Amino acid sequence: MTSLKVFIIARAIALIPTILILVTLVFFIMRVLPGDPVIAIVGMKAPMERVVELKKELGLIDENGNEIPLIVQYVNYLMKLVQGDLGRSLIWGKRPVVVEIMEHLPATIELAIAGFLVSLLIGMTLGTIGAGIGGKVNSAVRVYSAVAYALFIPWIGMMLQLVFSVGLKIFPVGGRIGVGLEPPTYTGLYILDSLISGKIDSFISSLKHITLPAVTLGLVISGVFSRVTRVSVEEILKQDFVVAARARGLPEYRIMLHVLKNSFIPILTMMGLQLALLMTGAVLTETTFSWPGMGTFLLERIQYRDYTTVQGTVIFFAIIVSVMNLIVDVCYAYIDPRIRY
Amino acid sequence: MYKSFHGVGKIVAIVSIIIALIIGLIAGYFVSLSLAPPSLSTVTVAQATVTTTSVKTITVTSTVGVAPERIVIGVTDKVSDIDPANAYDFYTWEVLTNIMGGLMRYTPGTTELEPGLAISYTVSPDGKEYTFKLRPNLYFADGKKVTAHDVVRSIKRVMKINGDPAWLVTDFVEDVVALDDYTVKFILIEPVSYFPALVATPPYFPVHPAYKPEEIDSDQTAGGVGPYKIVKWVRDVELVLEANPYWWEGAPKTKQIVVRFYKDATSLRLALEAGEIDVAWRTLRPTDIQDLKGKAGIKVIEVPGAFIRYIIFNTRIPPFDNELVRKALAAAINRKAICDKIFLGTVEPLYSMIPKGMWSHKESFLEKYGEYNVELAKTLLRQAGYSETNKLKIELWYTPTHYGDTEVDVAMLIKEAWEGTGIIEVELKSAEWTTYLDYTRKGLLGASLYGWYPDYIDPDDYTSPWVNTSWTGYAYSNPRLMDILREARTKPTIEERTRLYEQAQDIWAEDAAIVPLFQGKLTIATKEGIEGVILDPVMLFRYWLIYKT
Amino acid sequence: MYTFRPILRRMVLKMPLTTIGIVGLSMILFVVFMAVFADFLAPYDPTKSVGLSLQPPSPEHLFGTNKIGQDMWSRTVYGARTMLIVVALSTILSMIIGVPLGLISGYVGGLLDRISTTIMDSIYAFPSLILAIAIAAALGPGIINTAISIAVVYIPTYFRMVRAQTLNVKNQLYVEAAVAIGAKPSSILSRYIFPNVISVVTAVFTLSVADIVLTEAALSFFGLSVPAPTPDWGFDLRAGQPYLVSGYWWLVTFPGLMIIMLAVGFTFLGESVSEYLGLREVGI
Repeated sequence: MTSLKVFIIARAIALIPTILILVTLVFFIMRVLPGDPVIAIVGMKAPMERVVELKKELGLIDENGNEIPLIVQYVNYLMKLVQGDLGRSLIWGKRPVVVEIMEHLPATIELAIAGFLVSLLIGMTLGTIGAGIGGKVNSAVRVYSAVAYALFIPWIGMMLQLVFSVGLKIFPVGGRIGVGLEPPTYTGLYILDSLISGKIDSFISSLKHITLPAVTLGLVISGVFSRVTRVSVEEILKQDFVVAARARGLPEYRIMLHVLKNSFIPILTMMGLQLALLMTGAVLTETTFSWPGMGTFLLERIQYRDYTTVQGTVIFFAIIVSVMNLIVDVCYAYIDPRIRY
Repeated sequence: MYKSFHGVGKIVAIVSIIIALIIGLIAGYFVSLSLAPPSLSTVTVAQATVTTTSVKTITVTSTVGVAPERIVIGVTDKVSDIDPANAYDFYTWEVLTNIMGGLMRYTPGTTELEPGLAISYTVSPDGKEYTFKLRPNLYFADGKKVTAHDVVRSIKRVMKINGDPAWLVTDFVEDVVALDDYTVKFILIEPVSYFPALVATPPYFPVHPAYKPEEIDSDQTAGGVGPYKIVKWVRDVELVLEANPYWWEGAPKTKQIVVRFYKDATSLRLALEAGEIDVAWRTLRPTDIQDLKGKAGIKVIEVPGAFIRYIIFNTRIPPFDNELVRKALAAAINRKAICDKIFLGTVEPLYSMIPKGMWSHKESFLEKYGEYNVELAKTLLRQAGYSETNKLKIELWYTPTHYGDTEVDVAMLIKEAWEGTGIIEVELKSAEWTTYLDYTRKGLLGASLYGWYPDYIDPDDYTSPWVNTSWTGYAYSNPRLMDILREARTKPTIEERTRLYEQAQDIWAEDAAIVPLFQGKLTIATKEGIEGVILDPVMLFRYWLIYKT
Repeated sequence: MYTFRPILRRMVLKMPLTTIGIVGLSMILFVVFMAVFADFLAPYDPTKSVGLSLQPPSPEHLFGTNKIGQDMWSRTVYGARTMLIVVALSTILSMIIGVPLGLISGYVGGLLDRISTTIMDSIYAFPSLILAIAIAAALGPGIINTAISIAVVYIPTYFRMVRAQTLNVKNQLYVEAAVAIGAKPSSILSRYIFPNVISVVTAVFTLSVADIVLTEAALSFFGLSVPAPTPDWGFDLRAGQPYLVSGYWWLVTFPGLMIIMLAVGFTFLGESVSEYLGLREVGI
């Protein structure tokens, strides 16, 4: 196990330059923004003294009204970042960005998990069917993988809304839960929280609300999984142990279980690689269904030019993706020791 | 090779049957739910009863017998700071109006002022001192007595914090003192005839001592002296108000008001249709309003609002420095098309900066230029030296989200109307709100679309802010107009002031630098059975007047 | 350039197009056709209001009209042009930067290689759309700006593949031989390594174009792409969404279908090309 520990530490250290590069990139991109963020905050009717005052508050100019050089602002920002401080929002209560992110994060996590489960379900089923039956069905699954990947999330979402919300009125068009049904917070995930607190109507409502977004997101990512499953099941079916097992007269379903078990590592690998796709997909799904997660939050703040929040949110995304990648890597290393190079 | 592998097919079949079963079960469950809506509504009713019984400690002297109901209002707005020292947006002002109150207030349904927390006021002969007498029976929502010192403390706090709306106080008030426990005296910098209207704005509202004395207190729920108090506040999700038992006018008609915050207008509309909310308030889309009008069980109420939209031509930038060009552009605006096509008649054309419904309103632009007068525009442009071969080339700026997603359509229709003369070529340019304001302030935009929500209901708030002001980049100045406006500000009687504002509007139309486009109506959709919805040009929805029948 | 020609010829002429490839190619060609002959196909000016608002599809307005009476068919046709221009520009941009950087980094190695690899890997691991959103928001609307924000996100894709291939080829015997007889690095890069990189670039290209299409659509869906009234599919989709519940289905259906058709077309083509070039499907 020591070598695994060394591996984890080495990987964690390698994470630092990655995050630093992204932070730097995002910081300087945000400073290219045209227009004066301060004026947006104080509104058009405010006097000039108020603008100056606020610039001081934001650390853009010093006590004497001179502009603080960009590089100094950057270093200051990094110092705060290390302490877990992403600054304060420029609008609506000027609350700490970290607090605002934490309010929106559970919604995204809930959606991502649900979408992921849907995609695994669709993807693995179709993949197994394709590889198992072969021939025309296999080709059809292959086409499905390609098409699913290229589906434009907002459009699919809207079509589902058109049919299931506007037409059949089975599912709500958007949102996360019905009026006054928010369960008490334990995990922030409404489905779990409502189960823990035993509020059945909250549970039903949150399940109804998440169905369409999760299916939309799941459908698009399922292409990737059906492909991986299909290819790896195909490979494994060709291997000797399958032939041997069959020769020994093992029941076919047990053979298939073995096959699926063996094809799980490539699928797991793919899961790690799909994190970025999942985040991208979540942003699009959220805006389509007005799901109150990180994606809608980010885009809303872009509209208001709340640049500390935009910057903080993007950096937070960078950190979370890097850390998740690290966790995935560690998982592989644990499962397959050969990876620990 | 795979063909010999029969078992695979079997497994696949089993797996798919199981999945189909699961999906079928879930779908069936939902379908059964949607077929049996009563079960859901009982749940809501049950909850409502629970919440109201929990408020039993309140001793009410209700005016309408027992009103056990709560009313749920849906909005797409945001609440910024629940602190009158920094809140400066429309919806937050509405919330503040419901949990606080000023010395003066508007009589519901009118633009007339009446005493609020004050009983009466007197003005000194020179017009520089206003003395307000407070009601004797004022209490904060926790039962704490309110005196003149609270009023003075709150206003001084606004001046000290110097937040966004502070200018409404600091531009006019030199000092405020408490003469005794029930008398407040304001000493003004110069005479202001509409000072009582200013006193009705949130920066003048007395607040509970719990508000931090020297800094902005964004999520403070202690409130002031109003009909309601906040009992639950989850930002962007829910605001729950409960009747303030100590309110001087007696308890409001509905004990509990719940405000739900929606992400977009579509969800708001569907929430009303699904019965999740009783009232759909700001801001429904024009097409949704039209749909809702035909629905059974839903009432759509329209009231003229006082928000206006207009174009700024910066008279310091060529070709807008040429009066003929400005006049031609003012004449060639197709206001009716904008109102009908984009807003489906939910807004109305405006021919003066002072909106319809306000005293002294005069349609000077209509008198001078008519509606979409292409011939006049052509003549003026030819006079200015432009022709079909030598076209006038201009840029029109708009900002894509701040005024709603219809803004780009407004810009496109104006472009079309202008190009309809055959002598103008328009390029549309857009910038996000910040950038937009910044460019305007720096005087970089020749023609730009803007909107205005009033701070106080007085013609002054619809005229002075554009004449020789820094935020417009000094786009428009006219010394004679400034004199008239200054005089109008200090004259005490409405008759004298009306005469002056009518003159001002004529000069305004003659200069054609700031051109009015349309004025917004407000629309509110409620379930059948919600009464007491009283809206007026002040535009603030008074929750304490609504009730269920 | 001796070794260059046979590879290209083999790739273009002898490529056995699978059914999927042909279907994909014809979808793409259809869109290209629309873009090229937009002036003939579109009966109206896409930026002008030419009819009543919110009219359903009819002989005069094949795809109906939107809320201010613009002809949706004309907007769809011209939208193809906007989309293809952005896609072409951003692809060229990311290739121009990604390919040489990958070549040099892989060939030179050392500190330069480590720095550029770290930077590129960081960007690569990041959710592409979120980065593109941030850049697009910073740059403001416009065709060029949109192309730049998309290109930045796809530079690492080219860089990584080209670098890997360069490392691979660099250790081949014939390259080592060329180094031994004193060939200049520039000629080694251009004559021995670059030709071997072409097939990788082609594969990355065909596989990433679909992504680029979707990214452009997403950016304009968020209102961060081209300025109005430029016809643009993503923009129209966003503009039509509020009208969906009122039953104006044609506003979102057609722009969405076009986006998906183009993306599916490129995915199909990419699939068949990568299969031909022997790159395993899972690899990229």
